[in-house]
Amino acid sequence: MAGQSDPHLSIFSAPEVEFLAEDEVIEIVPNIRMESLHMICGDFGPFFPQIAAKVPLWLAVALKRRGKCAIRVPEWMSVERLTQALEAERESPREFQTLPFHYVEISRLLFDHAHDDIPDEYMVRSLIEDIRDVRFHKVETGLESISGRTHAVKLKNLSAMEVNIVRPFIIRTLQAFYKHDSPQMIQQPEATGNRRSQVADRGPRRDLRPR
Amino acid sequence: MEEEPMSVVFQVGANGVGLLDPGSETNNVEKGAKVDLPFWLAHDLYLRQATSINVPACFNQKTRKEIQADAACVDLRMRCPYFYELGCKTVPLVGDKSIGSFLLQAFSSRYKEVLSKSHSTPTTTASKFLPRLTKEETQLFEAAQSSMASFKKWRVGGSRLEKASILGKKRKTTLPIDPPSP
Repeated sequence: MAGQSDPHLSIFSAPEVEFLAEDEVIEIVPNIRMESLHMICGDFGPFFPQIAAKVPLWLAVALKRRGKCAIRVPEWMSVERLTQALEAERESPREFQTLPFHYVEISRLLFDHAHDDIPDEYMVRSLIEDIRDVRFHKVETGLESISGRTHAVKLKNLSAMEVNIVRPFIIRTLQAFYKHDSPQMIQQPEATGNRRSQVADRGPRRDLRPR
Repeated sequence: MEEEPMSVVFQVGANGVGLLDPGSETNNVEKGAKVDLPFWLAHDLYLRQATSINVPACFNQKTRKEIQADAACVDLRMRCPYFYELGCKTVPLVGDKSIGSFLLQAFSSRYKEVLSKSHSTPTTTASKFLPRLTKEETQLFEAAQSSMASFKKWRVGGSRLEKASILGKKRKTTLPIDPPSP
């Protein structure tokens, strides 16, 4: 994709992922009256005081910083929902809970710019930290199982920022394993069972990890 | 990596290259002489069938036993910083076909150690473990460390807006009288 800071490792920097997250739609409650805004990405508004409207996060943050609106914290960012999510994360060691793809970035943007709109801010903040830690630990345990015969790693429900953190590591790991497990490297003196003959035809087989 | 010394045995006598063999009294290398050459030279001479290549010391039985016993504790950097790269290039040159699977085995068992240390350990505590890694493993480790570090930096905040690199540059003068700016 264009605009990446390091094309070689194909990683985004954290601020770049945050930038992508700013396109997520969020609800605001304006306190001013304003005409529709015609943007390249679409038209938003018109805005009336105390009537909720849906706008992208970047617009919400811009209006909030000028004191023109309050941001409605999304459903999933309530203490109740996050506690549930954390418990579920802890209970299922192999699965990730469904959270918004950009939950790390959205929560940080809201903490930075709209902390007065978040009820129980400290609680929410620490819950999100805990969820992220539990999930990251799961990613690490999952990565331990990568071996020479892994062709793909399935990480369902992983969020953008989480993927971005482990991406350079996973890419290099898979490359190294691919190199060391290639048929040229592992040469067979004679037939040593069917495991080896499988290695020879690598093409269509995909070893997806059930996670 | 190409500079790594390889032990080779000359299959033919060579005149005028006595400097390759420090033990040689004349300016020639005799047939059957055992000499350490950098990999690139050893490889080239092997292709011309002038030498045969011995398995490098870092793939000997002693190292294999140590890797089997406790892979993560073996100081591979000391044996050969380019352990895996040299191994991959050595496989087609020597008769020993077990090197390939040994490399894979060594990498998979050491990989777990790198994984468990790389994302969560602060750099200061990693200093004990880092010197044992080969180049390839170090790159893996650093990739993980730097992505985690940049995430943490982002999380604690700091300046959100970065100046585009192009904005900092001085505008070039285009007048022909001026000396060309570098």
